[in-house]
Amino acid sequence: MAQSTLSRVLPLRTAVSTSAGLASAAVNFLAAVEVAEYAGGQSAWLAILVAGILIVFAGANFSELNALFPSAAAIRVWIRRGINDRFSLVSSMVYMLTVVFVIAADAFVLGHTFSRAVPAIPALLWIFVLLALVTWSNSRGIKVAGTVQDSNAFVLLGTLILFSLIALGRTPDLGQFHYFDLGRHWFEAVALGIFIFVGFEWVTPLAEEFQDSRQIPRGMFIALGLIAIAFGLFSLALTVAFPHGHGLVHSFVPQLLVGMRALGPLGFWWMAFITLTTAMTTFNGGLLAASRFVYALARERALPVWFARLNRRLVPQNALMLLAACAFVLAVLVYRTGQYLLLINAGAGVESLMYALSSILVISLRRREPSRPRSFRVFGYPLAPGLVAVLFLGLGVEALLTPTGPSGFPGALVFFLGIVVVMTAYVLAVVPRLKKRRKGEQGVSTPR
Amino acid sequence: MTLLEALTQFAYECNHNDRLQAMNRDWTRRIQLDPDDTHLPHYIISDSGQLSVGAGAVDNPDLLITSSEEILTAVFSGQMTPTEPYNAGDLMVKGRQDDVMRLDILTLLIWGE
Repeated sequence: MAQSTLSRVLPLRTAVSTSAGLASAAVNFLAAVEVAEYAGGQSAWLAILVAGILIVFAGANFSELNALFPSAAAIRVWIRRGINDRFSLVSSMVYMLTVVFVIAADAFVLGHTFSRAVPAIPALLWIFVLLALVTWSNSRGIKVAGTVQDSNAFVLLGTLILFSLIALGRTPDLGQFHYFDLGRHWFEAVALGIFIFVGFEWVTPLAEEFQDSRQIPRGMFIALGLIAIAFGLFSLALTVAFPHGHGLVHSFVPQLLVGMRALGPLGFWWMAFITLTTAMTTFNGGLLAASRFVYALARERALPVWFARLNRRLVPQNALMLLAACAFVLAVLVYRTGQYLLLINAGAGVESLMYALSSILVISLRRREPSRPRSFRVFGYPLAPGLVAVLFLGLGVEALLTPTGPSGFPGALVFFLGIVVVMTAYVLAVVPRLKKRRKGEQGVSTPR
Repeated sequence: MTLLEALTQFAYECNHNDRLQAMNRDWTRRIQLDPDDTHLPHYIISDSGQLSVGAGAVDNPDLLITSSEEILTAVFSGQMTPTEPYNAGDLMVKGRQDDVMRLDILTLLIWGE
């Protein structure tokens, strides 16, 4: 049968901007500072570059999985076909929770940025108002235009590149720094550098909207390059402009400092504006994707049907409100305690483990579905995906073990394990009952 | 029940449901169903929410749905929610997510949760 041509499809530009935009959260500014702390200074750029190169291999895994099953359900389908349904449910739920982590972490950055820019208004009020605004617009079915979402990613990365180059140009005696001097904790720096790229693969759920699914890998790889350049330069500018970086850790607004160094008050305010638009697009994209995922789980009775209830604008209102409330509560807790490292480390850990899992899925699906067409195949199979699995497993464990406070306590690991235990218990104990109830109802299914 | 019979019933339910008519009054789309076992395509056309169905392909569809004929029949006759085969990778879609969501909501409102 000849392939039908769809009436409306997305261009490559959208694949690039979506991948880059979803990865470019405002909390990445703080992650860059943390990478610099562990890298021991000016070699932070190298840690980010190495993390980016490693992620290209994970990107290749996602490209093959996406080529095999180009579906908005993405990891839910891949893990189910590659391993089993229960593992798929647990992993998908934990993975989607990272969206809530990132929203909460961005809210933290946003609060600090605006309490610095406009001190008269409390940070928590900024967080509440902006999160409520995005939730309200989502619940009304108002969508941010694709061009706005597209342009924000390019403006952010362009700003970072330009401002970083200006800040570097204004720093005297650049030859005095040690750009290749690897500190004792450089492996941790690479592990945390993973966080900068977190979310690049969330473009794969858009696969259905592209006529040619090869646009997704192209978009992801271009986006990874842009992110590595932009945040590599940003970390370089930070560590060179502020070589004794302890003030950076406690400022929570490194991007404003680089903006100030580059263009004075104009740079400061432009960076504040960019932080606002970046956080808003993270809130918007995150809540939209996560609420639809929760809706889909409720439709297949993996969650109570309450989550599939729609408002009159056909938006899954209950799912949306609950996710927004969770993100707000988490943001308040993080803001009050200052424990943002917990979210960064947990996010980096979960993502690294997911990248390791993507390798296992590629290998498993090559065996289980050898004849199913794939428009993209990973390079160096089976050695490369095998090595990538081991490497990302190590990086994930390292990120989770990285201390989140001066006591050395691995809070991210405990946080992660707690979530996994709760999700596993839910999938084993509650989901079978929900599905059983569904089967009982199916016998009396009639049109309404 | 054949796929065409299931689609005919589905269209009848939609076209006689005031809520769905109001909801879809701005929804004009061409949807093609491609059974990957029989290779006999069918279509659903929504003209401002008024559905018509038939056997055969349509030009430049807005949405392409691929699955086995058995699953497509089960989905459009209310025996199965679309989400189940979709989340299992047994039902693949090409097109805008808004339209996929809209179609899922149609089945939800016709056949219930």
